[in-house]
This record gives sequence, C-alpha cells and structure tokens, in this order.
Amino acid sequence: MIEPSRELRDVCAIVGAGNSRLGRVPGVSSLDLLVEAMHNAIVDAGVKVTDIDGIICRGPDESYAHHQLIGARLGINARFSTTLDNGGASQILGVALATMAIKAGMASTVIIGFGRDSWSRTHSSKEANLRNETRPDSQLAHEFGPEYGFFGAVAAHAFGATRHMHLYGTTRDQFGAIAVAFREHALRNPDAQMKKPLTMAQYHEAAPVVEPFGLLDCSLRSDAAGAVIVTSRERARDLRQPPVSIKGFGSFNNLRGWFADDNMVTTAAKNSGEAAYRMAGVGPADIGTAQIYDCFTYMVLTQLEDYGFCKKGEGGPFVASGALRMGGRLPTNTSGGQLSEAHCEGMLQVVEGARQMRHTYSAERQVAGANVALVSGHGGNQVCHSTLILGRA
Amino acid sequence: MPDAVKKPIPRPSPESAPYWQAAREHRLEIQHCDACGQFWFPPSLSCPHCLASDFTWTPVSGRGKIFSFVTYHRVYHPAFAKEVPYVVALVELDEGPRLLTNIVGVPPEQVVCNMPVEVTFDDYDEGVAVPKFTPLKAET
Repeated sequence: MIEPSRELRDVCAIVGAGNSRLGRVPGVSSLDLLVEAMHNAIVDAGVKVTDIDGIICRGPDESYAHHQLIGARLGINARFSTTLDNGGASQILGVALATMAIKAGMASTVIIGFGRDSWSRTHSSKEANLRNETRPDSQLAHEFGPEYGFFGAVAAHAFGATRHMHLYGTTRDQFGAIAVAFREHALRNPDAQMKKPLTMAQYHEAAPVVEPFGLLDCSLRSDAAGAVIVTSRERARDLRQPPVSIKGFGSFNNLRGWFADDNMVTTAAKNSGEAAYRMAGVGPADIGTAQIYDCFTYMVLTQLEDYGFCKKGEGGPFVASGALRMGGRLPTNTSGGQLSEAHCEGMLQVVEGARQMRHTYSAERQVAGANVALVSGHGGNQVCHSTLILGRA
Repeated sequence: MPDAVKKPIPRPSPESAPYWQAAREHRLEIQHCDACGQFWFPPSLSCPHCLASDFTWTPVSGRGKIFSFVTYHRVYHPAFAKEVPYVVALVELDEGPRLLTNIVGVPPEQVVCNMPVEVTFDDYDEGVAVPKFTPLKAET
C-alpha cells in the first residue's frame, strides 16, 4: 500500500468552525444555510473575509459550480475554488484538499462547507413530500431494484445490519445503545434538532421501517449547514481560537459495491482509517473522541470495528458497555450526531471534532483529556469513505 | 388489478435485455466469460474479473443461498402497500454472482441468512417475468 505523505502532518490547522440554525428552518435555502454557517465560522476565526482565498464545497445535486455562488455571497474572489463530490465522504476530502492546496502554495486560507435543506425539501409540507418523490428519472434505478420494492438508503444499510447480526450475534439492543447515547449528547447541545430524552424502551417501540431498522435507527431529515476554515499552522498562531492541528487524513472507496465482497460488514473505513493513522502517526488507542458518520446506528458500530477501537464482531458489546457516552472509553458524536443533532452529511462531525480539540467547551460537553479526535465521512452508495484526524496544536 | 397501482416494470438497458428475455421464458441466464470462465452480474459489456468482452449468456442452476436480507414495513411505493411486510434479499447463486430479489413462499420471520433458495418466476403485467427466490425444497 502507498504510504500517505507525512509532510502534510501538522502543517495546517482548523482555525474557525461554525454551524447554521439546525433542524427545521423553513424558508431558507441550502445555499443561505451554508452562507450562514460560513459567516459564523469567519466570525469564530476572527479572520477578515478578504483573507480567505480558497473555497471548497460540495454542492447540492441540482447545482452547477456551487463554489461560485458562495464566492458571490461572501463577496470574495478566490485563488483556489472547487466543488467536489464523494457523497458523505466529501466534507473531509474538502479539508484534505484545502491542506494540499495550502501546502502547494495555491491558497493560504480556505473555507470548506456543506449545507442542505433536507427537512424543508421533503418534510415541511405535503407538497414538499410529493416533490421528493418526483426525482429526475436519470437518478432512479430502472431495473434490479424497483421491481422488487427495493427503495431507499434505509434498506441498503439494513442489509449490512442483518449480515452483521448473522455473523456476530449483534442485537437491536446494541444498536439502541448508540441511539440512546447520542441523544444524551444532543440534550447538552442547545442547537440540536432533538430536544427530548430517549429511553431504550422508546427505541424498541418506534415503528419498524425496514427491518432490522426502526425509525430511531435512522438519521434525521434536517435543514443544516456547517463550515470550517483551514490555514497554515504559522498563520493560525495569530488568530483568535486555539488552533486545531490537521494531523492526518485518508480515504478509501469500495467501488466494487456495497453488495460485493464483504463490504457491507468490513467497510471502506478500514483502509481509509489505516491511511489516516499512518499519516498522523497515531493509532486507535490515542483517539480520545470519535465523530462518526452515523446515517444509521449500525454504521457507527461497524465503523468503530473498522477503525480498530474493538475487533471485528465485537462492536455490539463495545457500544453496549457505555463506551460512547461522556465518561466512557470513547465518547462519540458528542454533539448528538446525525441521529440526534442534525444530518449534514458529515460536515457537523468535522465541526464538532474541531471544537472538542480546542478544549473550550464547558465541562459537561468537553471530553476531558482528549488530545486527538477521529472524524469519519461515509457515502457514495455506501462505499466511499474518508477519515480526518485532528489534534490539539 | 385494473385500478391498482402497478409495480415498477424493469426497464432493460441494451446490456440487460437478454437477461429479461430469458426471464420472460422462465429461464435464469447470466453472462459467462469466454476468456476466464467466470460468471458475472449485473449485466455489462465486459467481464469485471478480466475485462474481456467475449461472453455467452448461460443458464445457471437457479439455486443459491441468502447472503443478507431486509424486511420492508414502510410503503415506499403504492404498488407495494398490500405486500408489506415483504422481504428483499441478496441471493448468492451457486455460480458466484449475487442477485437482488424477493424471497417468496415463506413468512418473513422465517427467513434467515444462508437459507438455501431456488428461483421462481413472478409474471408481472406487460409480458415481464421477474425472477424471485423461494426456499429450496428438501432433496429426496
């Protein structure tokens, strides 16, 4: 395997992080939400908007050259700007690309962000629901799926859950432990979409969607955006916030497909994580907090195994032990995750990873003693993955 | 069902047309590579194992095992409103390739991974037959 370059370790830092209003934000487009998050990140960093000379984003599917629209809203030109797409693995790739661009001298300060209006677009009204069902024909499967009633991301991920349960005896109680832990975290986060406590009994009582998943195994429909600002470690010293060092990143893509090989049980997180660990010069034992792409409960469990926090097949007992809670062995998705904070395709995981590494949270939200954070991104028909490792500078 | 919403009918691509033509005649045929001798699915114009483009549509046993499966409770399409709960499964054929399909002829709660299954054909409207799978009857 190719060794990732250690020349990029601890070269750049995240110096600003922001999120938009989260949850149900009617009447605001995904672009406006993203600009709101970017404004918050710029204020947070204490940079002048004219200091930013790079923009990287992932656009909504219907948008062309989304980065240009962002530049227009922020009122800036940029030396480096692009829109990239690797599904939910895009946002970490944006941070990685920013680091490469800065190291290459193509930009000095880069803003990265993603926004979506998933709740407004699909759930705010009957009309919105209907619009959701009229996706363009080019994006729909025409055979080997719809004739069998196979629709949606819930079922695709549920296939992995069934297989894992079969191979390792994993249970829905263990999936439930993930949902309950993340809800606890969300209750400490005033911005989070979910405001009420969740018990294991309520988890089990929730309506089945596509078995083995019930409603509370599934992430939220959210209006949400997040953004971070990356610059060199040198520049970071003069800025307002404690800089958060970008120690390593990696990506891997099981493009042969979710249904091929053992990909639904051993995900692309394994190779992506190994690359990121090598670049950062750390291992699973060094990680103090993890921010894991939680589109579904099972995906957290299997990624924790793939990242080496426990052995393959032992994710069930690991999560059931309380490991993911504050004070546990690996406090995870400490802002509530996509299951309880808001679903922003992994962007809010990057934001929370950076905030944890500043050590400026109040005691109830800060993972005490965590000096290295791991962030994951997952998407692209379940097989594309990216990993970011952040540390205290 | 004159007024009911119909299930989506597969819309073959040029590569998959022979698959659906064989299914219409209740035969399960998939592509077999003339160069490396392996089967593959879903249909494409070259072998994903060796990239050779010479192949033969070849009947297969129609037998396999359930690799994994899910049970739909939510109705995502009105044509399936009367079908829930129904099982969508990934069946690994004895010849190797995996097919997405439905498991029929058995209650959903009795479906398990590794269950041996065999093909059966469901005649949809419009002259289309869809391969589905049912538990393999015990050998006598």
